[in-house]
Amino acid sequence: MKRLLVMLLLGAAAAFAQESRITVPYTRFSMPNGLDVVLHEDHTTPTITVNCWYHVGSSREKPGRTGFAHLFEHLMFMGSPHVPEGMFDQWLESAGGDNNASTTEDRTNYYEDAPVNALELPLFLESDRMGYLPQSMTPEKVDLQRSVVKNERRQSYENRPYGMAGILLSENLFPPEHPYHWPVIGSMEDLSAATFQDVLEFFKKYYNPNNASLVVAGDIDPVKARIQVEKWFGEIPPGDPLPLQSPAPVNITQEKRLVYEDKVQLPRLYMAWVTPVRFAPGDAELDLLASVLSSGKTSRLYKRLVYDMQIAQDVTAEQGSNHLASTFMIVATARAGHTLRELESVIQEEIDRIKAQPPASREVQRAVNQYEASFYRRLERVGGFGGKADQLNSYLFYTGNPDYFNEDLARYRAVDANDVGTVASTYLRDNGRVVLSVVPVGKKELSAK
Amino acid sequence: MNGPAEISIALLLGLTMTQTDAAGQSLDRSARPSPGPAPEVVLPAIQKATLTNGLGVWLVESHKLPQVAMNMVIGAGSDHDPAGSPGTAALTAEVMEAGTTSQSALQIAERIEFIGASMSVRAGIDASFATLNALSKHLDEALSVYADVVTAPSFPAQEVERLRSQRITALMQQKDRAAVIANLAFNRIIYGPGHPYGSDPSGTEVSLKGMKREDLAEFYRALYRPNNATLIVVGDVTLASLVPRLEKAFSAWQKAGIPAIDLPAVPKPGKRKVYLIDKPGAPQSEIRIGYPALARSTPDYFPVVVMNRILGGQFSSRINMNLRERRGFTYGARSSFSFSRQPGPFFAGGGFFTAKTDSALLELMHELGSMQRDGLTPDELRFSKNGLTGSFAQTFETAGQIAFALQSLLLYGLPDDYYQNFLKNIEHVSLGEVKRVSEMYLDPARMAVVVVGDVKAIRPGIESLGLGDVVECDSQGNPLSQ
Repeated sequence: MKRLLVMLLLGAAAAFAQESRITVPYTRFSMPNGLDVVLHEDHTTPTITVNCWYHVGSSREKPGRTGFAHLFEHLMFMGSPHVPEGMFDQWLESAGGDNNASTTEDRTNYYEDAPVNALELPLFLESDRMGYLPQSMTPEKVDLQRSVVKNERRQSYENRPYGMAGILLSENLFPPEHPYHWPVIGSMEDLSAATFQDVLEFFKKYYNPNNASLVVAGDIDPVKARIQVEKWFGEIPPGDPLPLQSPAPVNITQEKRLVYEDKVQLPRLYMAWVTPVRFAPGDAELDLLASVLSSGKTSRLYKRLVYDMQIAQDVTAEQGSNHLASTFMIVATARAGHTLRELESVIQEEIDRIKAQPPASREVQRAVNQYEASFYRRLERVGGFGGKADQLNSYLFYTGNPDYFNEDLARYRAVDANDVGTVASTYLRDNGRVVLSVVPVGKKELSAK
Repeated sequence: MNGPAEISIALLLGLTMTQTDAAGQSLDRSARPSPGPAPEVVLPAIQKATLTNGLGVWLVESHKLPQVAMNMVIGAGSDHDPAGSPGTAALTAEVMEAGTTSQSALQIAERIEFIGASMSVRAGIDASFATLNALSKHLDEALSVYADVVTAPSFPAQEVERLRSQRITALMQQKDRAAVIANLAFNRIIYGPGHPYGSDPSGTEVSLKGMKREDLAEFYRALYRPNNATLIVVGDVTLASLVPRLEKAFSAWQKAGIPAIDLPAVPKPGKRKVYLIDKPGAPQSEIRIGYPALARSTPDYFPVVVMNRILGGQFSSRINMNLRERRGFTYGARSSFSFSRQPGPFFAGGGFFTAKTDSALLELMHELGSMQRDGLTPDELRFSKNGLTGSFAQTFETAGQIAFALQSLLLYGLPDDYYQNFLKNIEHVSLGEVKRVSEMYLDPARMAVVVVGDVKAIRPGIESLGLGDVVECDSQGNPLSQ
């Protein structure tokens, strides 16, 4: 309802009417086994990318097996029946390619970038593991990647300053039965408990062509690329369709306040709220609210806390958008000699101010202009994380339309200053948040109240 | 407890699925698709011009997207920091954005942010860089702010104070990060306090506190000159339209004589020692093993790059496959040569599970030693050369990558046809050459071994390896008095 209204306003505004469309042309087909395939041509450089999304992330994990989706991502590189252990990377790298993968709450993505002469190699590699991974899986491989992932947890969480904050926030924002309650990396205990049998079950349930989407992009001939995709992926049998997830909406009615002592020099404050899912009404408005609060020297929180008062070293606000729920977060690090209580009172003033009076239209226009520029920047690369192929897969997963670029940008162009004030009042409720103070060990007196 | 049961289920399943496979699969997967000949790479065409004031301009046109990227390379890196005053180049660069003779820091920021552009001035070691990214429709507005920052910074006293204290706070925060401590301490240990490469380019609390506003203004006045800079432009603009706009924007900028710098010689590595930096309770140890190695001008650049790709320069390198994929000691291990104006550091290392610190050191030493002794196998040589050749196709995709490629030509005085000859130079590398450079540039007996970790837990194991004298250091890499 609200959406329709802003679209009408958009049509009426002459300045917006002349904005250029951003579009990424593609062809799409669905294979009999359910694999959804998107092809996109870009002949800027003689390179290609193969980008595969499996629609499973940590939100599908069972209790006692947290971290499993991500551990499984690692196992996907341990070889498959026709790719001996160690050869996935060696074959690709010795053809001049590279690859990576990542796991979130919602999905697991894999990409292989390569020169165009090696297009068929990543299709072969990706299809061999999609079709037949368990045939060459062993308990030893599981043990080995279990060690690697535990080291990843040490490096990226335990040995990283403030590294445990994200884990604590998820636990407190989402109730135990909500699939975002536990961290993607999982607990050490659960990683230890994962068995070889779990690997086989997980593969059977989630790593099916009908639960995946594949983007092949770059310096390709789409007709030939389609034939090659059909050749390598056509024989892989489909699995059972997955039930949709619909966790009960989270409604926090009482503020939660936490203090965590960490090996850090400076205290850091986190304020977090549960907000509308990606692409739902309010999502883009919250992105723009975050920009008005913290993007650039002249943003409200940066200017006051960091620039004018100099009581904070940094401040960020961000709407982290996901499939089942989003999280809006404000994070600020105190300067030496200042407490998180001081930071919190200024942040609270600024939240109250933007609720009481919408931002100036120039502030919102500035944020929209920043989004517009970022949309063009995101079209520069075809491969890798966040390249065009990855974005086509992302839009496909979240909206059903791979070329949702222009619609996405239009969301931002349609927002006005009142909308930004409204989402602040609606979603940044004082009694609906989690406030976490991370303080140096033994310095609880630096925390927010 | 339920281990044996799992294994038998596993074997059973494996067997069943193999049979299904044999029955259900008609496609022959036994041979992997082999790549055809490497594609031809179209190199960016560089158009050059010189403005009236002497500023060199290098343009690569790219009209794929309506945006323009600029990167001005100025001979004002931290290698120019006055002795005893590390951080001068870095703070000078940062304060430039914070006020000009006609605009305040907030006015500058607001104009850039309003058009969705980004701008920064930052000091590297071998040069400083003033960068700008903007949509082409906003280029004039962006350029006018950018040129003002580069040519007329006013170094307002209150901005110097603000940024100084922000930097001192950032230095304090570096102590939280074991990997950062390891990198900085490693450089200090192998270059010593007398060489700029041995200092944190951000400075120290003492050096930052001692810097006066006038020192920054003077550093700027001496080095930020059009005849000491080149502007790289990549994007949606033509030379004919660009040059007049640049002439106008930079017209007030005057050339001047540039003071020469005389860097001290890089110290020669001595006998191997082990340097320990304590991070009590750390779950991982950050290891760096190495010494000052090679300048970008080395005639052995290509054989060294081909060798290091296999040693520790890619995921499937010997070091990563051994320490991560075979032994599970780490999330990632690697080796790298940083080629600078003067010999930059070589190191091998990563972050390793505390309980496996000594085993990791042993394996790293083993990999260095065996590469030094034997070089590459013929297969490895082929993998490395094919990999470098294939990945060359990805070098010129984005404006940032193109600008970076041009920047290397500028910084290290590489010939204009460097990229034309790149593939040929890789192809010419022979096994014998790799063996020669491995012997010459990988000498584990003379490398410094720096470990940041829980000293109480790791020291006994490390001492038992007998790698050399063990010295405990502070977080900057200075030996603690015993």
